[in-house]
Amino acid sequence: MTAPEGRSVGAASVTVRVVHYLNQFFAGAGGEDAAGSPPARHDGPVGPGRRLAQLLGDGFEVVATVSCGDDWAATTPGAADAIVDLAAEAAPDVVVAGPAFTSGRYGLACARVVAAAAARGLPAVASMHEDNPGLDEAGAVPVVASGPVARHMAASLDALAPAVVAVAAGQPVVEHRIGKVPRVAKLSRYNAAERAVHLLLARLHGDTAATEVPLPRFDSVTPAAPVADPGHALVALVTEGGLVPDANPDQLESARATKWLRYGFDDHGRGLAPGRYRSVHGGFSTVAANEDPNRIVPLDAARRLVDQGAIGRLHGEWLVTTGNGTSVGNARRFGVEWAGELRRLGVQAALLTAT
Amino acid sequence: MALGRETKLDGVTLVVDPAEAAGAFADPALAAVRVGWASPGEPVRLVKILDAVEPRTKGPGGGGIFPGFLGPALPQGTGTTTVVAGVAVVVAGHLPRAQEAVADMAGPAAELSPLGSTHNLVVEFTPAAGAPWEAVDAALRRGALALAARLAETALDAEPEAVATHPGAGDDDGADPSLPRVGAVTNLQTQGAFKDVFVYGSSFAGSMPYLLDANELDDGAVVSGQFGHPSLKNPTWVHQNHPVAAALRARHGTDLAFAGVIVCPEPVDQAGKALVSAAAARVAAAAGWHGAVVTKEGGGNADADMALKMDELEALGLSAVGLFAEMAGADGTGPSLVVPPERATAMASTGNYDQRLSLPAMERALGGDTLALVGRPAVDAVELPAAVLFASLSPLGWGRLTCGESVPV
Repeated sequence: MTAPEGRSVGAASVTVRVVHYLNQFFAGAGGEDAAGSPPARHDGPVGPGRRLAQLLGDGFEVVATVSCGDDWAATTPGAADAIVDLAAEAAPDVVVAGPAFTSGRYGLACARVVAAAAARGLPAVASMHEDNPGLDEAGAVPVVASGPVARHMAASLDALAPAVVAVAAGQPVVEHRIGKVPRVAKLSRYNAAERAVHLLLARLHGDTAATEVPLPRFDSVTPAAPVADPGHALVALVTEGGLVPDANPDQLESARATKWLRYGFDDHGRGLAPGRYRSVHGGFSTVAANEDPNRIVPLDAARRLVDQGAIGRLHGEWLVTTGNGTSVGNARRFGVEWAGELRRLGVQAALLTAT
Repeated sequence: MALGRETKLDGVTLVVDPAEAAGAFADPALAAVRVGWASPGEPVRLVKILDAVEPRTKGPGGGGIFPGFLGPALPQGTGTTTVVAGVAVVVAGHLPRAQEAVADMAGPAAELSPLGSTHNLVVEFTPAAGAPWEAVDAALRRGALALAARLAETALDAEPEAVATHPGAGDDDGADPSLPRVGAVTNLQTQGAFKDVFVYGSSFAGSMPYLLDANELDDGAVVSGQFGHPSLKNPTWVHQNHPVAAALRARHGTDLAFAGVIVCPEPVDQAGKALVSAAAARVAAAAGWHGAVVTKEGGGNADADMALKMDELEALGLSAVGLFAEMAGADGTGPSLVVPPERATAMASTGNYDQRLSLPAMERALGGDTLALVGRPAVDAVELPAAVLFASLSPLGWGRLTCGESVPV
């Protein structure tokens, strides 16, 4: 990607082409009744895009607006790519999404759209409130703060417009920036042991704040409500234990997994037959797992529970990845995809075995 | 380094007789070994690296170096140790559970691995038919240590380029008693065959924390048999040159008093981690320490050993700093730590496990013909994460990699 350097606001010779993403509500296509509508492209600015175009001024043109229903955007696999496909038809120099305020589905869509645009080399920026649950999905792509609700639209667009100008010029977004600030590797003059001793001396002398690594914040997960009627529930077995057919036909990674896979149970026997499967997980001794693959994917125990009536039926395949050195981003994506897929299949409960 | 007919030190060139080197690996578990070498700046890629050992000896036949392997398991750390610096004996090839480790002798990755700046005598091997893998592993370890001692023997009569004198157990260490007493707490990964570390020749799995004099590390009291986590392992070479011990020695008597190294296993269960962590903190407190640098080996669960020890040390009133490799994802936006400490929040970074690096094509490879990770010829240009570069995120603090925040466009 070549940064569009040399372009500036008001420069008559080159106009920066902006494509704006909005949900169905701000595009004027309806409320919850239209939340399932698929992406659509409109010429020129729509709704808040008109004010954004004014703020951007002469050097910019909002050439198209892409809109999509909140449900469609948040739950359809590949939604962000489909939206960026439509945006790309208008040959944008910049993709802008939002403001999404604290709207969860809209924020998720905006974050995913700018992440998908950036992954294709398109400069992008989103706007939402810092409490929006979609914020982290933007990854390293800049997001600027909006107000919490739509009556803060004017001030939110005032903050967004300079960020669009900065991104279009290949400049960092600093003002009003929210979300993750990437950790970037670099070489120090000193080795890590020397730096650790330096930190220890500082700490011994009372500086308890000094550190090179900020403490991470972890998500907390609210457990789902218990299954109301497990005796009639369809249950799936899922695992991060790396259990695959013995030849590992799809080359699941032993560490740093980038994908998940699915394999069907055969109808023979009571469980998974030893010798036909193996765990490729690189984080523990797999000897016991390979001697009895049911200890990773407990098909034998699950079929007994079905026989006893404790659970209704088993879904006929297991979902698997390797949870060893897997990035949180990939793990989160696998979780979202598993949940969506299991829900689509009508599964009411999943048994996740972890190693 | 050069291969020749007689193993000897010729000025500053270490000449190695390949037949004699191979002889160090004579063992029923090994059908054959091949010896090659690679020097800094050469377009060579080392793949499937298992361990690296620095040539050292305390006299003809070893004189007690690598206690428990070459010599009896008797306390070391006294007397004179001869070091052939800038050289490593490297064993490379396939073992079960070993995760492929890579080092380049030239290009941008060379400065990220300890082996990028050493002259490496690389030993490749063919296991004997039917030999148990554990026996192959043991034979390789004994062979590498014996060869390292043999190579150092060539320097016994040479005029040393440098001499360092370190006080030992029972000596007056010369430090002002008002200086803070600090040491290193070093966790060793102990997860069974091929993921094990040896102290005085025995697996450290199941042990309790143990206070060593750093001089014992100089004499090879800690030997690696841990082949997981290429970037997050502590090869024997790095234990011999323990970077935290070196950094503490460098400031001994200036702004701190260096008080030793507590080695700890990394148990595989949470209760074991908690017990060993509390015990390590008590050993440090009983030894009169005021602070410690805590190090680990491996990823994921090894962060828990770190965090627990740092918090236990702080709970007993000691200051603690941890060395962590960050696992922040390829774009650097993931949470850096799997298990962060709660009380002790000072951490030095050894880089990002997930950082992507572009490695240029090399002219030859040692250790194997292919990069199994990507299924390509070992000499090909390839993009890899820092995670697979040998000791590049050294948990013992060898490397200069760190991470900082950056606002990208």
